[in-house]
This record gives sequence, C-alpha cells and structure tokens, in this order.
Amino acid sequence: MYLIALKMLVGNKGKFFAMIFGVALTSLIITQQSSIFVGLMSRTVGFIFDTPLPDLWVMDPKVQFVDDIKPMQDTKLLQVRGVQGVEWAVPLYKGSIRARLANGTFQTCNVIGLDDSTLVGGPPTMLEGRVADLRLADSVIVDEAGALGKLAKPGATPQSPRTPLKVGDLLELNDNRAVVVGIARTTRTFQSQPVVYTTYSRAMRFAPRERKLLSFILAKVKPGENFTEVARRINAQTGLAAYTGPQLKGLTIRYFMKNTGIPINFGIAVGLGFLVGVAIVGQTFYSFITDNMRYLGILKAMGAKNNVLFTMIVLQTFLVGALGSGIGMGIASLTSIISKNSELAFYMPWQIPIITVLATTLITLLTTIFSLWKVIRLEPGIVFRG
Amino acid sequence: MEPAIVCANLTKSYGAKGNLTQALRGIDLEVKPGELFMLVGPSGCGKTTLISVIAGILNHDEGSCAIFSHDLDAMEDGERTEFRGRNVGFVFQAYNLIPTLTTTENTSIPLILNGVPRAEATERSREMLKQVGLGAKLDTLPTELSGGQQQRVAIARALVHNPRLIVCDEPTSALDHTTGAEIMELFRHEALKEGRTLVIVTHDARIFHYADRIGVMDDGRITRIVNSPSEL
Repeated sequence: MYLIALKMLVGNKGKFFAMIFGVALTSLIITQQSSIFVGLMSRTVGFIFDTPLPDLWVMDPKVQFVDDIKPMQDTKLLQVRGVQGVEWAVPLYKGSIRARLANGTFQTCNVIGLDDSTLVGGPPTMLEGRVADLRLADSVIVDEAGALGKLAKPGATPQSPRTPLKVGDLLELNDNRAVVVGIARTTRTFQSQPVVYTTYSRAMRFAPRERKLLSFILAKVKPGENFTEVARRINAQTGLAAYTGPQLKGLTIRYFMKNTGIPINFGIAVGLGFLVGVAIVGQTFYSFITDNMRYLGILKAMGAKNNVLFTMIVLQTFLVGALGSGIGMGIASLTSIISKNSELAFYMPWQIPIITVLATTLITLLTTIFSLWKVIRLEPGIVFRG
Repeated sequence: MEPAIVCANLTKSYGAKGNLTQALRGIDLEVKPGELFMLVGPSGCGKTTLISVIAGILNHDEGSCAIFSHDLDAMEDGERTEFRGRNVGFVFQAYNLIPTLTTTENTSIPLILNGVPRAEATERSREMLKQVGLGAKLDTLPTELSGGQQQRVAIARALVHNPRLIVCDEPTSALDHTTGAEIMELFRHEALKEGRTLVIVTHDARIFHYADRIGVMDDGRITRIVNSPSEL
C-alpha cells in the first residue's frame, strides 16, 4: 500500500508541489534567519576569534562586552606581569579612530594597537605584506573588506568607481599620516567598520588624547598553571577582570542577547517562518486529505484497517517533510556559499540544520495528527454517498 | 443450502434524539448464494442504507444481519474490516477509481489489502482486466477511459479477490443503454460465477430483467419481493 500512498500523493501534482513549497519555505526561513542571527552574534566576537594566542584577556571589571572599552592605566600592565602564573602579558589598544579619505569624507575605523615588540594579537591571515612590516614608520595593515570597500580611494567624481586601497597607499588617521604595508583577512566586525592594525605606541599617537588608553592586557599563562586560578589571582592583586577567550565570547554574546533587539527580531522571523509552514502545509495537506477522503473511505470499505491508512498518511507527510526541508536547507546552504566573505552575516553551524529538521518534523507531525483525526472518524459508509 | 444473506427485523435511524430519520424499519430478507438480487424503490426509501449494512460498512440499530452465517454484530471493528476485505466486493455509481493509479494498480488494491504479494497481485489484476475486456488498457489512468470502461475496471476490482458477495450501488445509472447492458452481461457472466451473490441497488428499469429476484422498498421497508419485472 506504500507505493499506492506515494502515487496518490505525487499524482496530485498541484497539492504535492504546494506542500513541498510550504515546507521548503519554512525550512529556508528558519535556516536563513537562524544562520544570520548566529552570523551576527559571531561577528560580535570576531575579534576574539582572530586573536587566539593569549590565554587570558585582562580588562577593567566594568567591561560588559568586547567592544565596551574602559581604558586602564598603563601601569596595570606591569601589575599583571607581576602576578604569579603569568608567563607574559602585552598591551592591546582597541578603539575607534576617524580616517580622512581623499575626497574629504571621514570613515570611522576600528584601530587595533599591537604590542610593539611582539606584535601579539596581529591579524590571522595576511593577503599582502607581513605583520612584521608594522615595524616600518607610520605603517598600518588594513583588512580586506575595508580596503575594497569603505577605505577604497574615491574616484574623481561621486559616480566614478572607487579604487581599492593597496600596499603603499597613504591614509590619514586623526590627522596622522599612515602608510598601508599590508592587507589582511579578518572576521568581519559587528558594525562592519574597517579594521586597521598598527603598533600600540603608534595607536597612542593616532588616538584622541585621553588620560588612559590601554584597552586590554593579553596574557599567557605559564604551562601547568590553571587558567581560572591565574585569573582569580589577577583579579585579587590588580582589581582587574581576567577572562579566557571563550569566557569573553560568552560575556559578549550574553550582553547582545540581553541588551539588544536582535534575538527578539530574529526570534519573531523564525517563529513566523514556523507559523507560515504550519499554515501552508497544514492547510494544503488537510485539503489533500479531504480530497482523498472518498478514496480513503473506499480503501477502508475494501478492507484497509486504520493502521494501514495511518501508515500511508505518515509516509506521505514525511516524504513531503523530507523533500521540503531538504530543498529549503539546500537553498540556505547555497546562500551560505554565495555570501561567504560578503556583508551578509550568515553562519550556519551544524546545530541549525538539526533545529530546522526538528521544526519541519514538528510541522509534519502536527499535520499528520490533524489528518489522522479525520481518518479515525472516517466512516466507510461514505462510499455510497453521492 | 445456507442463505448468503439473512436480515431479520433490521432497523436503522439517523440523526439525534428528537430529530430521528428512520431509514430501515424492520427489514426481513434472505438472499441465496449465486443469486442476483436487485433492490429497487424511490429515492430515500433506504436502499443504500440496507446495502451498506449488508456490506458491513454501516452499523444497524436493532435486529440482526448475517452474511454467510457470520453475524456482523458479533464482530469487532477490525474483524469486520478484515471480513469485508476477504468476502465483499464493491461497485459504485461513480466508479470511485483512484485517479492517480493505473487500471492495474486500481484493480490490485483488494489483493494487496489481503496480503497477496505485489507481483502476483499485478499478474492477477491484469488477468482480471483481460476478462472484463480491458486487455488493451492495462496501464491506463482512469481519466483516459470512458464511463463504461471505468465501470469495467471497478467490476474487475470488485471481482479480483474472489469475494463471495458483491454489492453494487446504481452501477448503470451513469451509462448509456448499450453500455449499461454490456455491464449487466458482464455481471451475469463473470460476477455470478462460483456461486457468488450479487446485490444491486438501482433505479434503472432497463436492467430489472437481469435480476433473479427484485425487492421493492418503500419508506424503510421491503414491501414485496418479485421474480420478474413484469410483476412490478
């Protein structure tokens, strides 16, 4: 009877494709919106991803997330270096500095100042030049997205195409001359601002005058020492907070989840996708079952027991669910491939397809239960009615 | 010989208390094996209700109904479904073939429901379709067939699993005179083989002469049973 069930389903092409479309649309919306949400969240911690070397990030205890800079006095660096269990500690500047473009417009950049001697915290992938070139006078390294986009040199007229920034070009950062010595690939930032790497001392020169400018202290824990214990000692001896990379990521994501409208907005989109799926698939399948009620009645009259009819319906709904969710996730995966390295914050970890499959399974289950209810109540006597 | 159908004081009503419609008002009926029995009467007299009860697809209220000495009342729902699957074939006015299945697939359904392996079911269905004159339409969809051809497929489907009872609801009403006559010839030659019993509900006076006996119904009762249309 399973082959017959499949033929009954596939034979009604209009409804079959409408149901597949419904499930595909649902799984596409759920996958897409969830992936964009995860993509946005991962961009908030992109800088931490790009800086894997230190074991501990030391900062002002009032810091709520990685971009919430509360500068410290430079002397704090020496205190941290003196804590038992710390192998080394280096300063890091992170702040927003305005770059003046050739046409007179300004672009805010995310400037990272690395320890002058070690250059710890440098960009993860260099496309042109070397990190060590930051030791040259006035040198900066610019991220690929910034070089191609917001920091690209404007054309002669506003309509003219912009020329990508390249090694050797000049930038003006807060009235300071800067020379591009490298182009790097970094994780895109949440604000989509260009990222400019330079040395800590040069960043001090570029940055607007402030009493304190030390954003973070990156620390390495001695081999055999416990990270949590060293972090506790740093806190006890310096009054600063020390987090591991994953802890700082957690702190940042929790802040965005709690204090921004991002989760609720994406949650609504995902919820709407689910409801659209329930509405389209449920309505179409219900109509499919209603259309077939006479034939199901005939099968019942001819000796098909309820369990046979149930199995037929379950097979039909799950085929629709599997095909629809496969198509939806396929389109979402295609988006993921196409949007790689683009402005679109799309990141699909393995958990998202599982969530999507669970959601579409739930939709097909609800639809199945609804349809089975009709079949349970089906009287075979329907076959003799006009 | 044991009767094929024995109904005694059968009653059936529809609707809720206070608004009851009495469809059957004490039916007494016996049909012999190998007999072609027709039920005739005006619309709403209870003919369809009676064959639904006889076929085991509708529960009656009072009285008893035994098919080949099996009391339908005494059976559980699943048991009755199984009994129907083995012993009853159905032919409908509107054919009721599943439109997305071919003639062979439609015909093989009763066999598959009775646990016959697919290959054997297909083979037997094709053989049955050839017997009803559709050897050239084995893999055709119902929508590509004429009304008469669709009714032949329905008859093949009703016969393929060798049921002992076939119930038909207005099998010729949607067909022209010639095709209706062909269908009735088919019933007489194929369906009545091997002592099978046929109960046909009809309004179609053109086919009354094919019956062995005719039961005339009115207002939920069988008012008389005659042996030939001339006695009506």
